Amino acid sequence: MVRTFFILLALIVGTRSAMAVDIPADASPQAYAEKFNPDIFALNDDGSPKFPMIHAFGADAASDIAHDVSQNNTFNLLVFLPFLIAPQVLLLIVIFKFRDRGDGRKPATFMTNHKLETIWTLVPCLALIVVAVPVVRVLYNMELSPQSVDTNDTSQATVIKVTGHQFWWEYEYKGETAIDFGHDIVANQEPCMLVLGRPAVFTFTSGDVTHAWWVPAFAIKKSAIRGRGTNAWFTPTRLGVYKGSCAELCGEGHGIMFISAMIVTPSDYELWKTMARHRADTDEVWGLLQPLDGSDPAPDDKLHAAVDKYFATDQSPGRRFALRYWIATNYQALHRCPSYPGRKDELDAHEAERKAKIESLVAALKTSGPPVARQ
Amino acid sequence: MAENIAHYGAPMTAAPQIKRYSGVMDWLTTVDHKKIGLLYFWFVVTMGLIGGAFAGAIRIHLATPGAVWEAVNHAHLTGTAVPYNWFSENRHLYNEFVTMHATIMIFFTIIPGFIAFMNYIVPLLIGARDMAFPKMNAFGFWLLIPAALLMFSSFFVNGGAAASGWTAYPPLSLQGMHSMPGQDMWIFGVHLAGVSSILAAINFIVTITNLRAPGMTWTKLPIFVWATMFVSIIQLLATPVLAAAVTMLLMDRNFGTSFTVPEKGGDPILYQHVFWTYSHPAVYIMILPGFGAISHIIAAFSHKRVFGYASMVFAIGAITVLGFMVWAHHMFVVGMPTLLQTYFMYASLLIGVPTGIKVFNWLATMWGGTIRFTVAMKFACGFLCLFVIGGFGGLILAMVPTDISLNNSYFVVGHFHMVLVGGSVMLLFAQAYYWWPKMTGHYLSEGLGNWVFWLMFIGVFVAFFAMHISGYEGMPRRVPVYYADFKFSNMLTTFGYFLTIIAAALFYIDLFVSYSRPKITVDDPWQVNDVQHSFEWATSCPPPVYNFEHVPPIPVVDQMAHHGTNA
Repeated sequence: MVRTFFILLALIVGTRSAMAVDIPADASPQAYAEKFNPDIFALNDDGSPKFPMIHAFGADAASDIAHDVSQNNTFNLLVFLPFLIAPQVLLLIVIFKFRDRGDGRKPATFMTNHKLETIWTLVPCLALIVVAVPVVRVLYNMELSPQSVDTNDTSQATVIKVTGHQFWWEYEYKGETAIDFGHDIVANQEPCMLVLGRPAVFTFTSGDVTHAWWVPAFAIKKSAIRGRGTNAWFTPTRLGVYKGSCAELCGEGHGIMFISAMIVTPSDYELWKTMARHRADTDEVWGLLQPLDGSDPAPDDKLHAAVDKYFATDQSPGRRFALRYWIATNYQALHRCPSYPGRKDELDAHEAERKAKIESLVAALKTSGPPVARQ
Repeated sequence: MAENIAHYGAPMTAAPQIKRYSGVMDWLTTVDHKKIGLLYFWFVVTMGLIGGAFAGAIRIHLATPGAVWEAVNHAHLTGTAVPYNWFSENRHLYNEFVTMHATIMIFFTIIPGFIAFMNYIVPLLIGARDMAFPKMNAFGFWLLIPAALLMFSSFFVNGGAAASGWTAYPPLSLQGMHSMPGQDMWIFGVHLAGVSSILAAINFIVTITNLRAPGMTWTKLPIFVWATMFVSIIQLLATPVLAAAVTMLLMDRNFGTSFTVPEKGGDPILYQHVFWTYSHPAVYIMILPGFGAISHIIAAFSHKRVFGYASMVFAIGAITVLGFMVWAHHMFVVGMPTLLQTYFMYASLLIGVPTGIKVFNWLATMWGGTIRFTVAMKFACGFLCLFVIGGFGGLILAMVPTDISLNNSYFVVGHFHMVLVGGSVMLLFAQAYYWWPKMTGHYLSEGLGNWVFWLMFIGVFVAFFAMHISGYEGMPRRVPVYYADFKFSNMLTTFGYFLTIIAAALFYIDLFVSYSRPKITVDDPWQVNDVQHSFEWATSCPPPVYNFEHVPPIPVVDQMAHHGTNA
């Protein structure tokens, strides 16, 4: 029954006694699990994605450079468009005007026209000169390292080292050595957490083969190469959940090497960091509750001991909330349809299964009385 | 060579060769450039169908976001039996199919596809009896057979075929399941195909340089011959670089070297640079011969001469030179210095200029003509339409900031399919319909050809334009599953694929049926030489073994001399 209590501790919506200031009074671990670990494959009732893919060239793109790139791309398209349309129009004219109708018309015999040839050599050159200048400003803005922010100050910039692995992404936040997200992507879509308006500075590298980190909404794509570091930076400009993918063939799991990235408010970011710091310690409790090999959960006394150990050094509200948050997150990840875009009916089935499980646990609690407070 | 040329002008009274074999043995031992051309052709259409079948497996799999995987994952979750499916049983197999589709289409379909026509037509166009090195020519073709066999048999070795993409980037191609023999067989297959390619290139260069008929000066060369010349130069210079790249892989895989192994001080980016030093010029190997051929086709069916001969030739030359200088535009996301990125962007954009000149010159060639829309001409016009769209995608991709978003996405896949299928393959069809009467003495069906053209044209446009949309919205390439966002465009692509494969099947059938049609008795069934003076139409259909009884009695017009006279 103790086991049940701890699961409920994590899952039931409700306030606990005193919370620290950094955790809202009405915080629900389950709600935060859904908020900070969104199901990027979820579909709406009409089959449309719950978090639509936002591409780099849309008005709702989410980084400063995406806006630059989008503007620049529109400009380039306008300059290039005549060179798409003119040949097609000429082709249509030629096809309809000069077809052989058997009326005895003699074909023309000209073989050259210097004026025309000069025009269609020089005009494209002019067009290239027109696009060549503004693109350089955008490019250098993207590629040069940030001058205006101090990357050593975590309140000025989110500095993230992204390491690609077959087939998951590891994010290390500068100044946050305790955050460790080494997890199989199928089990857990760990999001890359960014702060609204705070420049995000990335270094990409790889633990094995070459990958590429690509979130279209940020207009960022960089190869993650073993033995090398590649850099990119941008300023997040819009709150939300953004989907991405690995963009370099990296083996059989390349297709499921998805990325989820979130842009959150500074206060949410602090809350998430609080919980992330305790992540590794909660794993022992979670591992006993839900053994990876699918065997039955560990006996209650072992769980007891694990929870005692978790709280031995630190019983702060943040740490307590973190345990409940991570158990809720893990449950959610476990019972979420694994990381592929699924059919609606199957997703519904899994959702129903998860809800039923939670409800049965709630029922079990009601028959056995309130949980013993463990401090 | 001198003896060869001395023969011209002297009338022949008897066939100069003694036929030693007949039937199958004749085809196996032939050194006649025409028969080798036909062997290339049949090899290529067969490979094209196989490569198309691989594409079919991929497209059917991608028709829905993850239909197969849904079933598999559901089975794992509920503990029920996993339903049988190729790609779900073995995700590796999907990558094998992607790799083999690309390898077969590039090395065994499009590159040798143009060599087929170059082999058959170029000696005819320059009034030669055969290629300079007939036996080497045959050897070059027969090398492709073991190369293809190596590729296909690698599916049956331990670990399966190569699965690291046709680019075979290390470290992926060095480790894990990719360290199995399949990848080595792929390397050797590429080596063999490369040797074949180099032999063909040497042969064409020597042939065009030395075996031109008397009076056929450089300034009178037909444009297809010029294109062949430039393409052969690219092949000769670039293919050894590919050999170097895959040899580095081979050494790293088997002999403990560390060219590309990061742990031992190697650099994966080195391989990428060397690989693209070949593989960017290779895209011009796959289109320039067609650029030459379409000039002939458009002029022939417009009853005109080629407009702007000199600028056409110089444009091909410019593309040849620029093609060697832009390779790193495939690598804008690997972290190059920004200055280099700027250079490669400008150089890539610059290629648009000579290409644009060619497109406008083709249109000017048609302007004022009396155009007969045979199937060959329809394919030529279809090429113009699709190639301009594909080229437009190329301009967009050349811009680095945009490319960073589109690199390795389906936009790139759509772009290069639009220029390779909408461009090269449409041109191969156009050439086949144009020169098949010359090559076999039988017409291909114009009625069925209309179906082939329209299915192909609409299919290619739908399939590959939809790919552009997928990529623009954020779908990466080489994935077996994707976000539900890309459902519609992927469905369209699969629909377009089916149109193209029906067209290809109809064409394949028509090739066989054509042999049952009555023999063509005239030399020049398209009446090309009413306006032009093209040697290949001055001999019978198909030409005799020795091509010409004597030098074709057509005055070869100095095309360069015409340049500068406005009609």
